[in-house]
Amino acid sequence: MSPELAAAGVALAAVMMYAMFGGADFGGGVWSLLAWGPRKQEQRLALEKAIGPVWETNHVWLILLVVTLFVVFPTAYAVIFEALYVPLFIALLGIVARGAAFAFRHYGQRESRLARQSLQWFSWASVATPFTFGLVIGAVTGGHIEVDGSRVLSGPFAGWLGPFALMCGLIGLLICAFLAAAYMVPRTEGALQEDFRRRAIAASLALGVATTVAIPVAAADADAFASHLDDGRVVAAMAVTALLGLAALWALWTRRTRFVPPLAAATVAGVVGAWGLAQHPYLLANALTYREAAAERITVVSFLVALPIGSLILVPSLWLLYWTFSRDTLRGEEIAH
Amino acid sequence: MEFDSLLSARALMGLSLVFHTFFTPLGIGLPLLLFIAEGLALKTGDQRYRQLARAWTPVVGLLFAVGAVSGTVLSFELGLLWPRFMEYAGGIIGMPFSLEGFAFFTEAIFLAIYIYGWNRMSAFAHWLVTIPIVISSAISAVFVISANAWMNTPEGFRVVGGQVVDVNPWDAMFNAAWLHEAIHGTLASYVVTGFSVAAVYAWLLWRKKPAANARLGLQLAMAVAAVSIPLQIVAGDLAARRVAELQPVKFAAMEGQYETERGAPLRIGGIPVDGETRFAIEIPKLLSYLGYRDFNAEVVGLNAVPKEDRPNELLTHLSFQVMVGAGFALLFIGGWYWWAWWRRRRAEPGWLPGRWLSWALAASGFLSFAALQAGWFVTEFGRQPWVVYGYLRTSEGVTERDGILVFFVLFTLLYVVISAALIVALLKWPHGPKQPERLPGAAGKEAEGVA
Repeated sequence: MSPELAAAGVALAAVMMYAMFGGADFGGGVWSLLAWGPRKQEQRLALEKAIGPVWETNHVWLILLVVTLFVVFPTAYAVIFEALYVPLFIALLGIVARGAAFAFRHYGQRESRLARQSLQWFSWASVATPFTFGLVIGAVTGGHIEVDGSRVLSGPFAGWLGPFALMCGLIGLLICAFLAAAYMVPRTEGALQEDFRRRAIAASLALGVATTVAIPVAAADADAFASHLDDGRVVAAMAVTALLGLAALWALWTRRTRFVPPLAAATVAGVVGAWGLAQHPYLLANALTYREAAAERITVVSFLVALPIGSLILVPSLWLLYWTFSRDTLRGEEIAH
Repeated sequence: MEFDSLLSARALMGLSLVFHTFFTPLGIGLPLLLFIAEGLALKTGDQRYRQLARAWTPVVGLLFAVGAVSGTVLSFELGLLWPRFMEYAGGIIGMPFSLEGFAFFTEAIFLAIYIYGWNRMSAFAHWLVTIPIVISSAISAVFVISANAWMNTPEGFRVVGGQVVDVNPWDAMFNAAWLHEAIHGTLASYVVTGFSVAAVYAWLLWRKKPAANARLGLQLAMAVAAVSIPLQIVAGDLAARRVAELQPVKFAAMEGQYETERGAPLRIGGIPVDGETRFAIEIPKLLSYLGYRDFNAEVVGLNAVPKEDRPNELLTHLSFQVMVGAGFALLFIGGWYWWAWWRRRRAEPGWLPGRWLSWALAASGFLSFAALQAGWFVTEFGRQPWVVYGYLRTSEGVTERDGILVFFVLFTLLYVVISAALIVALLKWPHGPKQPERLPGAAGKEAEGVA
């Protein structure tokens, strides 16, 4: 395996981590928006408590992805960001609005107008941002962006508003909703747990349908992606993902709550992994391979050397964080504040 | 003035940087205050120090959160606004950015443990948690500043036939400007934090607002401020000498020096336009001395290079004057406070700053931010028209896309809304220190018992 391929693997891993952690975080906002029924406030408070300690960390995966792109694949970073500047700017506005709104609600005075308005901003931005990131993934995969060398030829709206991109946007949103609800199941009790369990089941079914429908849509609208679907490795990855999804559904159905989060996370990692395999060898479908986009060898190697050294600090710290806060059972009571 | 892509992109990048730079110094400096306060509580057994740290915690959380998202904006905008620059430079200078990613990650993790760790861990363990936050936040700053330094003094590559070759990311990282920029830029965070926290407490005390342990908070913040401001001025002198050596044209713009001359005068104030710096107070030969430690050293003037290779001397010179002026004013206020305290400490144990000193302390918060922002203006305006000094012009690094102005307007609106909300949230904070037990996530027994 060449260092460039290994680095592309790191970028894919960053997407996976962002989907598994950041996705659940966005999903928290989605369910805050969709909170209904007699336990509406309890649902929102439990979600907020779950997100609180980890939300910043969840979003650092995005920064790690961006940084990996611009260190190791500067041409891809430049071309993708220039080509897709409109949806990326929109996602960025969403990230800022969401992060600031969460902080105001969480650290500010609970019963203020500011807190109520912040909840609205937070919820809507939590829907818009992952949907827009899904559009970007769809556009990167769909093969509608034309490039000459590192110059972008196609227009500002190319690739991210087609049927396949919209499908990817929907899948992005469903991934978030599924993960958030699934992660909440073992951390809640009683009726509140039942609320999240039902939501997780609904979201997992919707995600299953959406990912299945995406295949014929890709065949019609995204040749670049569809042409890789007969690759044995991609088919195998998709089959494993489908099994993981079914296992997650089984665990939800039979109330084996402990198994729900790892299976849900593995399913999402599978979806991202299958997508990544189908992208090979392109970073931008039909336009830019990871070899063409790579920086000089020494930069790639330095990055790969720095990575495990950084992880020596990072992994135990992350473990400490999640270990400290995941043992709590979240009740929908007022936060002692 | 036409708002073309270049101007829109520069305006949006500038806006995003200025907004971000309001939060970063506090994200670096406040952890140091937490470290000191909790450390003093352990050492002296005085629980008021711990209450102070506790009262600051939600503020740290809020400011860090807004700082983190505004930093994400920058990591995107490098690609969205400057794709040609990143294509050129990403592989050379990406290394400090990726290391910064790790440092920032560590900071985020331990800050979360700190904020939510009240009542979950022993006082000693909680103090220990502040150490990685202090270290990783300072290291983050050093890495990011190293990337900025490279844009000023690019090293670690060669250009052959328009292609970048022979890249050495480590040489690029430890370029000629990184050390003085890193020291000056990181110390600035402690200066800003010290004076702005002091400003808040001085204001609360003067207006007799209810705030717990305000005198102690003022004392602690002023200790950090008083240690960091003289160091910062020494570091500034070092930075200026390095700039004189490495980027003489930038130095000339900072000082409003048009003609190349021996024994150049230092100009205080003044307006450099049309080839002449008017209305400045000139001190003979001092500029030569400050730049080169020789009263008769030759100082290169702006006229030595063609107009299209010069920065905007008016913006650079005025920003530099604001930075230096504010810096010395802060030194004076710091000295005034401690001198007043030292004279009264025995006679009046409950001594509070008087009217004029209170006003000066309140002003010092604004002055410290003015100095910090103006300092960045000096670096950034002074580097123009280059994005990679001497190699790539800013106009060559910009995106070819249209409509950037639309996003500039949208981000301006969003930042106005966030700033307004932040002011509303922080103005309510005087009621925070009054009730130090009220903390987010502090769902522990102690907090519930009190509440």
